[in-house]
Amino acid sequence: MPDTLTARINTLIKAPVHIAPLAVLRIAFGSIMLVSTLRFILKGWIYAFYLKPPFHFTFYGFDWMKVPPGNTLYVLFGLLVITAIMVTVGLFYRAAIITFFVCFTYVELLDKTTYLNHYYFISVMAFLMIWVPAHRYFSVDVWRKPKLAVTSIPGWTINIFKLQLVLVYFFAGLSKLNYDWLIAAMPLKIWLPANSNMPVIGGLLTQVWVAYIFSWFGAIFDLFIGFLLLSNRYRRWAYVLVLIFHLSTGLFFKIGMFPYIMILVTLIFFSEKTHIRIINFLKLLLPRANSTIPNKAYHLPVFKTQFIYGILILHFIIQLIMPFRFLMYPGKLYWTEEGYRFSWRVMLMEKGGTIFFHVKDPASGTKTEVINSQYLNTFQENQMATQPDMILQYAHFLAAEYQKKGIKNPIVTTDSYVTLNGSGSRLYIDSTVNLATQQEGFGHKKWIRPFSTTSK
Amino acid sequence: MKKIICLALTAAVSLILIQSCSKSGAGDNNNNTGSSFDRKAMLTNISTNIIIPAYTSYQAAAVSLDAAVVTFNTTPTLANLTALQNAFTATYKQWQSTSVYDFGPAADVNLRVNTNTYPVDVNQINANVSLGTYNPQLLSNLAAKGLPALDYLLFNLGGDNAAVLALFTTDSKAANRKTYLAALSAELKTNATTVLNAWSGSYKTTFLNATGTDASSSTGYLVNQLVYDYEVLKNFEVGIPAGSQSMGVTYPTKVQAYYSKISLQLTLLHLQAIQNLYLGANGSGFDDYLVAANAKYNGGSLNDAIKAQFTTAAAKLQTLTDPLSANITNNPTAVMAAYTELQKLTVLLKTDMTSSLGIAITFGDNDGD
Repeated sequence: MPDTLTARINTLIKAPVHIAPLAVLRIAFGSIMLVSTLRFILKGWIYAFYLKPPFHFTFYGFDWMKVPPGNTLYVLFGLLVITAIMVTVGLFYRAAIITFFVCFTYVELLDKTTYLNHYYFISVMAFLMIWVPAHRYFSVDVWRKPKLAVTSIPGWTINIFKLQLVLVYFFAGLSKLNYDWLIAAMPLKIWLPANSNMPVIGGLLTQVWVAYIFSWFGAIFDLFIGFLLLSNRYRRWAYVLVLIFHLSTGLFFKIGMFPYIMILVTLIFFSEKTHIRIINFLKLLLPRANSTIPNKAYHLPVFKTQFIYGILILHFIIQLIMPFRFLMYPGKLYWTEEGYRFSWRVMLMEKGGTIFFHVKDPASGTKTEVINSQYLNTFQENQMATQPDMILQYAHFLAAEYQKKGIKNPIVTTDSYVTLNGSGSRLYIDSTVNLATQQEGFGHKKWIRPFSTTSK
Repeated sequence: MKKIICLALTAAVSLILIQSCSKSGAGDNNNNTGSSFDRKAMLTNISTNIIIPAYTSYQAAAVSLDAAVVTFNTTPTLANLTALQNAFTATYKQWQSTSVYDFGPAADVNLRVNTNTYPVDVNQINANVSLGTYNPQLLSNLAAKGLPALDYLLFNLGGDNAAVLALFTTDSKAANRKTYLAALSAELKTNATTVLNAWSGSYKTTFLNATGTDASSSTGYLVNQLVYDYEVLKNFEVGIPAGSQSMGVTYPTKVQAYYSKISLQLTLLHLQAIQNLYLGANGSGFDDYLVAANAKYNGGSLNDAIKAQFTTAAAKLQTLTDPLSANITNNPTAVMAAYTELQKLTVLLKTDMTSSLGIAITFGDNDGD
């Protein structure tokens, strides 16, 4: 058994496979990133999310990341557009994908208000794409330098993407295995009726049993779809499910580009024959596409291969550990959100909150309520109201602001109420705690009030 | 393949056990039997029976106000001043039922800020009077226009109407002041008419057909504006003048209608108007919507909690008297007590109501959290 397993893994890593799936992935990823970036720019979000608010919620350890001055951010988004095009057509591929990865991740790190699992997913995909020769086939680079062309590549260059996708789906499925999702059908019981205006099916969406069907189907889909896509026998049907699942979630929920990204990248699971067919179809659209190229294998020096192996092993270890880090924290995960991000937890909660900050001058004893809209946009304020690390960060910012205004060691307290999956709002943060003196860290935040089903 | 699926199943089952299985409140007592709420019927009721009547009355009031200004400017007498003041008060009262609908046609003309930005910038008003010119488009004139500017021009803090009249008759800038007055009431009338015409025309259909729950749907607009306008009430009409945001330093002059001294009356009307929108008057409203969604709060129904808090907040406000500015100076604690009750309603409306209905409050994409 161990021998066959080792052999099997060895095959998955080293056995030569056709490069076509990787070229298709490059084109699919590049083009959807182009659309996604243009959409972000056209919606005016660069200004609304990054330039307008004077304060940003940086990630712990990335406080040095600041929104660049002037038009730099527009230039950066311009770079994203250009590199997305370059990735799609395979022009100066490595430089393009590295630039794309760096710029995209940089923007994501500027403010966790905009954190979405799908942005994290894009960063992860772009990161993985740095290490593979996706430009060595059907690309401008090959047209420029025919020497670069290869037809076969080692299996790992494709299988890492399959592994990543299986992990994403599987962890998303695991996170749905809880009381709220399966037994209470929350939050779909709230979200689906909100779509009751939809033609034809609108009426159905208000039915409770429909919320249960969606919840259970969603959980089962996420848990197994990755494995079904791996199987030659079920792949076609699995992909039909992928289409149904993502298109319907795209229709019901405001989740932006995510469904389309997943629909395109899951193409990687298909056989090389299918991908060659896709490439041949694309060639028909291009008058000057290169004719058949001789068979040639991709070759990488041993030390480079081992370096890449090292990086990938580290990457997947992190991927496996991250979703479980919540186990180290006490309390209800959805309530505290400690260890919540970077774990493929999507669509799990309907959470809303209102928070009032009070700043007190210890010398005079006078107190003031803060107008949050002075420093934050609505998006930031709403996200902050339900996430303790953001609350703390903002409290520290307020302490500094009032220090500047001449108040020595201002005391920052909150009055905050949060509702989770229809629980009704209840006190969220201990309102007696001076957040100005609380430190951020990976430890449990003791000043989050425990979630209890009875207390107000 | 089967092996991998089995492995996945085992892992999944074992993880159910590890994962916190604690439920979030609504779970067990939620014998929800389907919240098939008809949003279009609610929108129909609210637009037909509340919004359009509100704009109709407000536009009529603004037309009368403008006519009263014309009469007064032609014949500036004490009697005509009193008539004008009454027309002003009637308009300001009617505005309280109108301010919450700042979307669609109202948003197109920035109705809320153009009509009711206060405290007024007295220096700017006096400068406009001195210069004899007034450009309504200037941002600096936002606090020198609309109802608050009329409030300043038409009322004397000591209640001495003869002194007010003198400013429009014997004062060296009397003519300029009259021109300014006429420009202000004309702008109010024009804006009110534009918005009413839009609602009477095609906008009502647009409104009725946007039956979704996203941020640009009609329900989304109503909820967001209800919450926003309620915040305006709580902060600008009560909190800020009472010193809630200024280290306890009170600013009695920052109340709404400081010069005509009808602040509390207006606030009570405003609260009633927001409550009326919530209730959908006697028809389908957010109360019915929350009941249909079986929204819970603290073991009871969220709708009951919201209605009770509307009552409590109104009762606390009723312990105060006009002029509110004097109350703030003499008894800030009582004003802050009312503010605290208003604040509790903010949480119920902004967090509980919005979340129970799954209404989008921002335009960005989400992950569902």
